[in-house]
Amino acid sequence: MKLTRRQVAPALIGLTLKADQPLKGGFALEAQDRGHQIRDRAATPATKRTIRIPAVIVGGGISGLSAAWWFRRARFTDFVLLEMESETGGNARAGENEITPFPWAAHYLPLPANDSIYVRLLCEEFGLLKDGVWDERWLCHSPQERLFLHGRWQEGIEPHIGLTKEDAAQFDRFFSRVAELRHSGAFTLPMDPGLRRSKPAHLALDRLTLSGWMRKEGLYSPYLRWLVDYSTRDDYATGADAVSAWAGLHYFAARDSEEHGPLTWPEGNAWIARRLTQTVSSHIRTGAMVSRVERTGSFWRVHAGDTLYETDYVIWAAPTWLARWTVSPPPRALPMESAPWLVANLTMSRWPAEKGLPPAWDNVIYGSPALGYVVATHQSLKTHIPRTVWTYYWAMSQGAALDQRRILLGGDWRYWCERIFADLQRAHPDIRSCVERIDIFRIGHAMPRPAPGFLTHPDRLALLKPSNNLAFANTDLSGLSLFEEAQYRGVEAARAALSTLGR
Amino acid sequence: MAFVLFLSVFLIAASGLIYELIAGALASYLLGDSVLQFSTIIGAYLFAMGIGSYLSRFIERALIARFISIELMVGLLGGFSSTILFLAFTWTTSFRLLLYGLVLAIGILVGLEIPLLMRILRERFQLKDLVANVLTFDYLGALGASLLFPLLLVPHLGLVRSAMLFGLINALVALWSTFLFRDQLPRAMAQRIGSIAVIALLTAGMFFGQQITDTADAALYSDDVVLTRTTPYQRIALTRWKDDYRLYLNGHLQFSSRDEYRYHESLVHPAMASRPGARRALVLGGGDGLAVRELLKYPGLESITLVDLDPEMTRLFKTHPLLRGLNKDALSSPKLRIVNADAFPWLQASRDLYDVAFVDFPDPNNYSLGKLYSSAFYRLLSRSLTEGGLAVVQSTSPMFARQSYWCIVETLKAAGLKTYPYHAYVPSFGEWGFVLATRTDWSPGGQLPEGLRFITTAQMHALFEFPPDLAPVPAEVNRLNDQVLVRYYDREWREIVR
Ligand SMILES: Cc1cc2nc3c(=O)[nH]c(=O)nc-3n(C[C@H](O)[C@H](O)[C@H](O)COP(=O)(O)OP(=O)(O)OC[C@H]3O[C@@H](n4cnc5c(N)ncnc54)[C@H](O)[C@@H]3O)c2cc1C
Repeated sequence: MKLTRRQVAPALIGLTLKADQPLKGGFALEAQDRGHQIRDRAATPATKRTIRIPAVIVGGGISGLSAAWWFRRARFTDFVLLEMESETGGNARAGENEITPFPWAAHYLPLPANDSIYVRLLCEEFGLLKDGVWDERWLCHSPQERLFLHGRWQEGIEPHIGLTKEDAAQFDRFFSRVAELRHSGAFTLPMDPGLRRSKPAHLALDRLTLSGWMRKEGLYSPYLRWLVDYSTRDDYATGADAVSAWAGLHYFAARDSEEHGPLTWPEGNAWIARRLTQTVSSHIRTGAMVSRVERTGSFWRVHAGDTLYETDYVIWAAPTWLARWTVSPPPRALPMESAPWLVANLTMSRWPAEKGLPPAWDNVIYGSPALGYVVATHQSLKTHIPRTVWTYYWAMSQGAALDQRRILLGGDWRYWCERIFADLQRAHPDIRSCVERIDIFRIGHAMPRPAPGFLTHPDRLALLKPSNNLAFANTDLSGLSLFEEAQYRGVEAARAALSTLGR
Repeated sequence: MAFVLFLSVFLIAASGLIYELIAGALASYLLGDSVLQFSTIIGAYLFAMGIGSYLSRFIERALIARFISIELMVGLLGGFSSTILFLAFTWTTSFRLLLYGLVLAIGILVGLEIPLLMRILRERFQLKDLVANVLTFDYLGALGASLLFPLLLVPHLGLVRSAMLFGLINALVALWSTFLFRDQLPRAMAQRIGSIAVIALLTAGMFFGQQITDTADAALYSDDVVLTRTTPYQRIALTRWKDDYRLYLNGHLQFSSRDEYRYHESLVHPAMASRPGARRALVLGGGDGLAVRELLKYPGLESITLVDLDPEMTRLFKTHPLLRGLNKDALSSPKLRIVNADAFPWLQASRDLYDVAFVDFPDPNNYSLGKLYSSAFYRLLSRSLTEGGLAVVQSTSPMFARQSYWCIVETLKAAGLKTYPYHAYVPSFGEWGFVLATRTDWSPGGQLPEGLRFITTAQMHALFEFPPDLAPVPAEVNRLNDQVLVRYYDREWREIVR
């Protein structure tokens, strides 16, 4: 064996890379190839079966499952849901190892406000909300959030350490502006009811970026700028310099203080996705990738593998940008870039040494390009948890989405492990010796970026309206990638279908 | 001959340095601040050597005999130096005085050695060779000693026996000098006997050295550590002082054998006496079996389920003769089922019902333990009680952690239980709190078993009275998603400690 200088030099001074625990893992849930099959119109298998059915839902993420859930509530059973993966859930899927289940993407649901009628209905059906009381088992346990700032952990994500008086005053000003917006009633989840109440001044927020708005408001505190940038990267994979001020402020103004929330589970939102799946399981066809959807006469022909569905109504709950490649006649393009994400699950053979605050549910590092990590065992009822799984999130929000996607798919597994370690090492110097496995989910098209102008873009507004018995239902239409929007789009599409089909 | 002489130089130099290192190490070990200890000891020692060198001029005659006597004195004083210091630290208050006195004395004697030896050897060598060789071997000895000390002596022999070993070397050099210089020694025989006596003394010391340190060590930690175990869950330590055994988990006192009966009688009997028909009991935590011991005083109980996280804990209290004595072999009772499991998930999965449940967890000093004091946990507890079933929760001190105590009461109420708070005085803990909780109405009373040492029927009612300084204070409910209890507890105990 030939030794390189890189191996020999550290060995000489006794600094061999820790080899007692070789890192395991790899990429998980890769779907790029299938996506490209559709784009490249790869040969589809010959049709073996034709099935007549009044309604077809394409895509089994939260939006598609919610459409199905609504159908079932309306006692409408003449439909199928086609999901290309072997499992439903989409961005609300989960994995599991010998330690704990863990999320692959979406991991929490804010406590719904009163506007979120469908979410409340769902929470009651699943026993999360009983007689107006939330089951504390599924509310995020204490301690909820911590931030690594200036070399130590502080409670909460809003920076406290090292703020000047002026910084603190700017936080106050920002939050009082947010409170005004909240009281206007124009910012709601789902966003539609609020939009109906919006004044031109609210809509005008969509014409500038959040950073632009901050400059106009004279808000320049670096800590405040970090917080808003972190928040928009976290929810929209878009930095404050690029995100629509309307979307950025919506994040803050649509939620009341989350003192008693959010709802979360070790497996994240897969907890909901799996229950939704159970309620409609007989309608679900997994491993059914829809490759073409054609309008023929008065009905749609939906090709999924060797099966052809002839249907009166299609709910397209797969990512909307995909419809350009599959649906004919092709719909308009969604006027938003789709941003990539990296999600990594770190299997920890032990916890890093900690001083000060104990690990929280959500752990954020100030100044990091990534978003921090969530502890999958946090909701466990055990007192003794020697091993755990951390779900590490990285929204690739810098620069053009296309470039970021190339970077995401270009780096090999080792490269990304190193990037993750380098980031976590700021707060956890001994992180390398704690991790035994890293599984990385590269999501090329994870969510749309709500840039200025997205809200009233004519193409988006056109896609929102069902036409020719086709309703789009994916969350990406909203621009805000949130469970509430996913569910709302799905339920609204189902309602449109039911009224068209006369049920 | 020449080589043998220089070997002596080497050896006495080494042992001289060893005493210095031992004094420095002991002082920093016992007094802390190693930089200060080492510098002052090295300074004092070198200074004393200077005094010794100066004093050497006053020795005019019988150089060899003096040299041998000095060797024997160094051997004795140096050899027993660490023993003397250890014992002095434990049993006297003048440790520092003794430390520096000893360092000065040894230093002076060592300071005498080399000048005397040089003068003895003066006739045999040329001055330039003599100085060169003596100093060479002197420094070599120092090097040898400084390497030997941390690498071999301290880890394998310890401070007490290392000192004695080098005392022996000094004495051997003395003995051997009586042979080397026998022509010049008028009373060689007497010197020889003296050397042998010192050697015998130090050899005996070598044998008993371990015992000496043990006694000193044990005295240092005030109590004897009888047993320690590090399990995946916690560190268990049992200490003894006279007839008092104390159990510590992760450094927190769990019980003292002198007064634990007060705690365990209070935990168990108010509930048990009032439920003569109770058949099934649950104990959560309490792997020491002391609560079970009290429960076994009720022959009507048919089964007891004990849930403790740590198998090592229940194994120890089931098998260790001393601990079995404390719990009267309770953990071997045929009525008992021991489950080693994390209590919250266990209770959630359990569908059994109990007439009485005793919750004896460590205090809520972190968020993990805080879950076991949450309304969600108490709802499960309530679900596992029979109609009219009683639960008793150890609830920290209403004196030192008053708001924490009343927070536990509020939390039990929030879980839909009626609460009957009470408290008892346990000297090693202070005023201690319990809460009896049930879905029905309840009042103390009933038949107590024979032979209790603390609870009596008359005094039982008094436990439920709260004087004004323990009276209720407002507190929030401790919920999984908002663990106020851990914050209260942390604040209140910090105030006490400060
Ligand atoms: C990393 C990450 C973290 C997130 N965290 C949160 C969070 O914590 N809370 C929150 O509320 N939201 C979160 N979100 C937003 C999340 O995307 C939405 O909440 C929601 O899960 C989206 O559901 P959807 O059904 O609209 O889309 P998707 O989940 O994308 O579902 C689309 C489904 O369609 C299927 N599909 C695609 N093409 C085809 C085809 N040709 N044929 C058949 N099926 C097809 C896919 O396999 C998939 O199952 C997160 C998103 C990401 C990327």
